[in-house]
Amino acid sequence: MDVVLQQFINGVTVGGFYALIALGYTMVYGVLKLINFAHGDLCILAAFIGLTVLTSGLGGANAGALLLAAAFIVAAVAVGIAGAVLEFTAYRPLRKAHRLSAVVSALGASMLIENGIMLIWSPQVQVFPANLLPDLTWKIGSASISFVQVMIIAGSLILMAALYFYVHHTRFGTAIRAAAIDQDAARLMGINVNRVIASVFVVGPALGAVGGLFVGLYYREAYFNMGWIYGLNAFIAAIIGGIGNIPGAMLGGLLLGLFNAFAAGYVSSSWQEAITFALLIAILLVRPTGILGERVAEKI
Amino acid sequence: MVAPRPTALGRARRALGPAFWLLGLLVPVLLGGSWISILAIFAIYAIVALSQDIVLGRAGMYDMGHAVYFGVGAYVTAILNTRLGWPIFATWPIAIVVAALVGVVLSAGIVKLRGDYLLVATIGFNIIFVLALGNNVADVTGGPDGIFGIGVPQLFGTALSSQGALFYLDWLALAAVLLLMRNLERSRIGRVFRYLKEDELAATTLGIDARYYKILAFAIGAGVAGAAGTLFAVQLASVSPGSFVFTESVTLFAIVLVGGQASIPGVLLGTALMFVVPQVFRGLAQYRYFAFGIAMIVVMVLRPQGIWPRGRAR
Amino acid sequence: MSRKWIVSTLVALAFALATSAVFAANPIVIGVQAPITGQYANEGQGIEKGVKLIAKQINDQGGLLGRTIEVKTCDDGGQASQAAICARQLVNDGVLAVIGTYTSGAALAAEPIYARANVIQTSDGTSDQLTAGGYKTFFRNAPPNSAEAKFTAEYLVNGKKFQRIAVLSDHSSFAKGLSDAVVQAVKDDGGNLVYSGFITAGSQDYTAVLTKIKSVNPDVLYFSGYYPDGGLIRAQMEQLDMGATFVGGDANQNVAFAKIAGNAAQGAIIINVPSPDNLPYPEAKQFLADYKAAYGQEPPSIYTFTNADGFRAVIAAVKATQSTDPAKLIPWLHDLKDFQGLTGTFSWDATGERIGSPFTAFEIQADGSYKIVYPESATQ
Repeated sequence: MDVVLQQFINGVTVGGFYALIALGYTMVYGVLKLINFAHGDLCILAAFIGLTVLTSGLGGANAGALLLAAAFIVAAVAVGIAGAVLEFTAYRPLRKAHRLSAVVSALGASMLIENGIMLIWSPQVQVFPANLLPDLTWKIGSASISFVQVMIIAGSLILMAALYFYVHHTRFGTAIRAAAIDQDAARLMGINVNRVIASVFVVGPALGAVGGLFVGLYYREAYFNMGWIYGLNAFIAAIIGGIGNIPGAMLGGLLLGLFNAFAAGYVSSSWQEAITFALLIAILLVRPTGILGERVAEKI
Repeated sequence: MVAPRPTALGRARRALGPAFWLLGLLVPVLLGGSWISILAIFAIYAIVALSQDIVLGRAGMYDMGHAVYFGVGAYVTAILNTRLGWPIFATWPIAIVVAALVGVVLSAGIVKLRGDYLLVATIGFNIIFVLALGNNVADVTGGPDGIFGIGVPQLFGTALSSQGALFYLDWLALAAVLLLMRNLERSRIGRVFRYLKEDELAATTLGIDARYYKILAFAIGAGVAGAAGTLFAVQLASVSPGSFVFTESVTLFAIVLVGGQASIPGVLLGTALMFVVPQVFRGLAQYRYFAFGIAMIVVMVLRPQGIWPRGRAR
Repeated sequence: MSRKWIVSTLVALAFALATSAVFAANPIVIGVQAPITGQYANEGQGIEKGVKLIAKQINDQGGLLGRTIEVKTCDDGGQASQAAICARQLVNDGVLAVIGTYTSGAALAAEPIYARANVIQTSDGTSDQLTAGGYKTFFRNAPPNSAEAKFTAEYLVNGKKFQRIAVLSDHSSFAKGLSDAVVQAVKDDGGNLVYSGFITAGSQDYTAVLTKIKSVNPDVLYFSGYYPDGGLIRAQMEQLDMGATFVGGDANQNVAFAKIAGNAAQGAIIINVPSPDNLPYPEAKQFLADYKAAYGQEPPSIYTFTNADGFRAVIAAVKATQSTDPAKLIPWLHDLKDFQGLTGTFSWDATGERIGSPFTAFEIQADGSYKIVYPESATQ
């Protein structure tokens, strides 16, 4: 029983950051019907930026929580800006062009960001210093949950709640939802669609940035081509929940994290990835709109 | 559709292709060992890229897992040659058929999916394929390090072991595939692919069985890729999962779109840029993908139809 | 008049050509095949730096047989697919010998290509398959998996008397070969094996499989794979509060292991030939000092040294036979006896296998250094 609880804890932790990264994918797909292949890389960029802040020595040896908070804020802001720049240079010019051109542009952006990280930081794995976070562990029966896991689970839930509130209970959030349903109608209603899209490219990556930094803190390492595997997994999470559907991405992320943990624990750890993708294909064949249903713009 | 131009310029243009191919035959004579290897690899990847073009550029299906079929061909040859002692040329048709069958089996379920979902499903197949190879499934695939010690093809008793001989084999195969592409374009199947790509709904109302032709596109594309796989296995004398990872599929996908969909010179140019140029500039290898990333964005923004689009650029 | 001009021009040309032929660089080209990028980058870079250091030292003293040594590196990323391409490139570059590579898989993929071109290959790859293929050009400069497995089993079963042994590996030729040999050796010694399984190298999250292993209550977890995964496994074992001791195979010996494992590194045990600071030989200490002086950092692991030994042996062969003809060098190398290497005295047999190397088990200390804990005779 405790093994199940342990796998559950591990799964929810991983699910937390998958969900945060998945939100960026789902929001972009909702308004543009574009798989932003560069999103995973943006999120991992946050891990590197965060690492740089954390090892910069600012605030002295006992900076502790403040430095950590600063790392998150700097990473989220930087990546949010990067997201907006990305949209402006690589996607906006292609809005009228064939969908595949935007896909290739996205792939190009992904390569650019990944290799940019490699050139700036290093091709080698970057290790996060030990003792950034308190080395606490709590026990529940014989299962254990560590400080970093609590931080990730709590942080993810808070951010997801905040986003849900933003999208469903603010005017701008409504504008985003409107643009996701029908861009032209939204324009006719006076919504500045360009601004909506730009903001999606800021908020999505910013959330994902927190997820990316969580990844770095959890495994205590980051390497430049981590982005695509986390990105793909997050995209699967978004599809499982229903692409374009924000609560769907959250649910999808958590479910994917749990599924991964239990599949690796009970079926086989070598085939973990394969089982995840097999699940994806199964869902695509049986219920492609996902668990909570997709919400995408109908582009005729 | 490209109508053959009766003008002198048109004739000169159409002679370019064969001329370039004939020029290639002189490479082992004029240039050194490095160039022979580079161009041999180019020929092999050009074949795979052309096969990707069949599925993506001509039939319009978003296949981002094409490296699977390339890998199937390579591994079939590797396994039959090293474990069962089959001669290379005997493994070649098997590699093609098995790859085509895999293409049929994988595509059968997913061709009904909408574009983006099809794309993600093909990515999924690619990842599962590579993982299976790496996990040494059925104890024949050799794990992450793959299979080595693959032999050389034997032609009437002589072994084609020199780099020059292998180059000629690859170059001839490329010619065969180019002829295949040209015939496909002019054939009924090729026309059906074009209709499907332009407007599937209209095509089905004309009585075309979309599902059959889509699967057929995958089968042909997969078979050709499998043929290239055999050549690849022989060229490297080994196969390993790393050569068929998802990023290779992404590269093939990008080649077709950046070079020009359904455009043979475009695809060849794309292949040259992606595979040959980095080999020449080995010293700057670090910057290679960074440069590609920028190039891909710039080309798409400035010229979304590709560098050398099909026929007259619209 | 004009005839004289023609003749003198021709003579001048001929003279120029002749002298340029004499003064033209005629270097001995040595290849380095290593993972310069990728997960094992610091190993690969260490190998390259070690070789370049030795080459520079020789060039500064007048070169080898009066010729400069030129080092050409090819990055194989630790991957078999890249290795084959690298092998072709280095052969085309006209190398005499290739030093490296770090992973057995990459060495195996390149082996036939070097053999066909008669290029000498020295490598620290420990997979037993490397010397089983009958390739005359291959020389192993680190001890093979089979030897390490015997020592490991002895340590686990007889030395420390662990009661419940769990074995974890990845699917690479090296790690699987090592773990299979260890499992067999443990069984032969009568040990109690409670778990044997695999991870996929590079997947980062091992909490699921570790949770499964935790449920069978092992007192030791032996991991035969590479240090990037070993470090993470060790860290995650701590996170899951597993009381088992971590024992790692030789590929865990790398300074990055302690960094990645962080606070959990202390107390981890690694089995390998002695680490760089523990090598008692004067040549080794000299090399260590030279390396630090040249690059401002420690070599990442013992494999910098073993590959340097491979290079030094090739140099010794060239000096002894006064030639760069593989037909003379290869038999000389196969007859190598009691060569004073940086990593100890060793010989090479007819299959290219290294004979002579002492294994030890060492424990990582709080400051990241290694302390030999077994066998007792080596702890002095």
